[in-house]
Amino acid sequence: MSARQFLLSTALLAIAACGEGRHSDPQEVLLVSAAVSLSDVLSVVAAEYERATGVSVVLNLAGSDTLATQLAAGAPADVFVSADRRQMDRVENDGIIAASSRVDLLANQLVVIVPSTRAQPVTGVDDMRSSRIRRIAMGDPDSVPAGVYAKQYLEAAGLWEDVRSKVLPTRDVRAALAVVAAGNAEVGIVYRTDVVRASGVSLAFEIPIDLGPQIRYPAAATVGAGESAATEFLAFLTGDVSRAAFEDAGFIPLSRSLSFRPGPKP
Amino acid sequence: MTDTSVILDFAVRRGSFRLDIHEQLQSSAVAIVGPSGAGKTTVLDAIAGLRRPARGKIVVHGRTLFDSDSGIDIPPAGRRVGYVPQDVVLFPHMNVDRNILYGTGRGEPPLFERVLELLEIGSLAGRPIDGLSGGERQRVALARALMSGPDLLLLDEPLAAVDVALRGRILPFIERVRGELGTPVIYVSHAADEIRRIADHVVVLESGRVLRVESVSAPTPA
Amino acid sequence: MNAELVRVTLFSVTMASLATLVMLPPGVALGWLLARRRFPGRTVVETVVSLPLVLPPVATGLILLRLLGRRGPIGRILDQAGVDVIFTWKAVVVAMAVMGLPLLVRAARAGFEQVDHRFEQIAATLGASPIRVFFSITLPLANRGVMAGSMLGFSRALGEFGATIMIAGALPGTRTLSTAIYSYSQTGRDTAATLLLAVAATIAFVSVFVSNRLGSGHLEQPPSPSDD
Repeated sequence: MSARQFLLSTALLAIAACGEGRHSDPQEVLLVSAAVSLSDVLSVVAAEYERATGVSVVLNLAGSDTLATQLAAGAPADVFVSADRRQMDRVENDGIIAASSRVDLLANQLVVIVPSTRAQPVTGVDDMRSSRIRRIAMGDPDSVPAGVYAKQYLEAAGLWEDVRSKVLPTRDVRAALAVVAAGNAEVGIVYRTDVVRASGVSLAFEIPIDLGPQIRYPAAATVGAGESAATEFLAFLTGDVSRAAFEDAGFIPLSRSLSFRPGPKP
Repeated sequence: MTDTSVILDFAVRRGSFRLDIHEQLQSSAVAIVGPSGAGKTTVLDAIAGLRRPARGKIVVHGRTLFDSDSGIDIPPAGRRVGYVPQDVVLFPHMNVDRNILYGTGRGEPPLFERVLELLEIGSLAGRPIDGLSGGERQRVALARALMSGPDLLLLDEPLAAVDVALRGRILPFIERVRGELGTPVIYVSHAADEIRRIADHVVVLESGRVLRVESVSAPTPA
Repeated sequence: MNAELVRVTLFSVTMASLATLVMLPPGVALGWLLARRRFPGRTVVETVVSLPLVLPPVATGLILLRLLGRRGPIGRILDQAGVDVIFTWKAVVVAMAVMGLPLLVRAARAGFEQVDHRFEQIAATLGASPIRVFFSITLPLANRGVMAGSMLGFSRALGEFGATIMIAGALPGTRTLSTAIYSYSQTGRDTAATLLLAVAATIAFVSVFVSNRLGSGHLEQPPSPSDD
């Protein structure tokens, strides 16, 4: 490539990069940063919202900590849905979200899973003490929300000290599922919503909600130009259409007194 | 009357080696002779601007190329010298033509065809440079230096890498170049007898010092 | 699914190519500088250039986010000029270019170090200015190193994830092969993830293979004047 060619192409690139300014009306597009575990259900909900209002919803799906970091640095998201209260607290403290818009959108439930073939019989949480159960797969209790909750539960049940040496901490919930499906762990502790689509694992038992930890998915609107559109979307998320979708996916929608009325289509 | 003064008055240090030369000549063809390691290539490098003396003065035919007292140090590209180094240094990524024409665009070069004819390299036109014989490479390098329209030719042992039989054929080329184009020459060799045919002054170097300067009265009859 | 696969692949390859073009001028310049010049602060330059290689990509992504985010020193200026980078394709190019640059600089530097000074010296005596010497002699002779470096930079760009997801997000419009694989595997879409993985691996294999052939072995070493 001659000198002239690459100087020319870089010059063109630079022009192209600067030329594209903002041209879309912020009210027509809503950017939602949401925990990746909500990918499927939010895609469905977003599509419904678009149909109802004509507002296009763009989903930015990553780990809650990544999303919070992006928001803290001024990333242009209008709505934040976190799988973890800590991350929401973080951005609330930074003044990035409108505190009055914050709601606990969903709850989840911990379940214990076993491999779908040749599994050890597991009917209650005390079975974890048994010597038949050598490894318990779960998200890393130091960093992964699902793991944090699992540890909380085991501590509350008085089992943590006995079983902690058996814990196989994984990078995320998908990895925990994979480990159990492969038979490398006799049991795993994950969310009910994770089991819905998983293959190779079966539900052993659910940990009752009142005994389990409070797993909450907070949602909020960010402060700024898109705040009112964001608040409308949040109202939709707590409406009947969304709640049905969340239930289908295995989440527990937390009912609020907000009611959603779709505005006139532009 | 053209100015034929050549002032070489400088010192160059290279590691533990030191070259000292303080000569002033009236000449348009200077030969520098001496054994290996005497510093002959260093003299040419200094004249070409590839090596900077600590202090001193280099003037060729009225043009000051370097003068540490006045702060003059013309970069190599501006010195208008045509350098044919001992290691030939043809550009490997270019063919014969592009090598020869690399330096054009400066001064008044002789006609391309004339140079090709003079050096008998017309048949090499368009060929890549690998596969050329030693003698062909020398002539291409010479053509390249000539085509850059230099005010001064620096030839470093142009016959050293060439076999005996070929030497007798290249020397006339250089004589021809001297005679027909009239470009001043500084010619390095360690074979003293060859250069008596070309030079009118001979500077004898040894271990970085000038032993003596000789005048050549008339070319030795062939 | 197939349409999405094609779209994501095309997008990733386009962005990686753009990123390679973007990293070429500074990469070649830095490679040359580090190969040829001693200057004060040289070690600092070497270290900064190597940082994306040494730091975890997420850390590099964080630094870029702080710089380019709306509250950051560069982001602030861009924001006023109406230019959006974060969460757009431009962020993808930036992340890829930053992560690929150290590899390019290394390879370019090695390429330049192999070019014999003598060629440049003789070119200068023939009247070529330093710029002309660089473009007509130095760069062509270092070409193999530069090409190999570009291919390495391209492969690295294509495989880039940590920094990309931080500043470009995982939006439909900025989804690369890497972030798509991540998304699919996080949501249990294992077949889709595996398919994308196969595509990514194939492209990476081809580019590293080409890069190796360019850089050594198969083609001769750059010649020196002493060769005859």
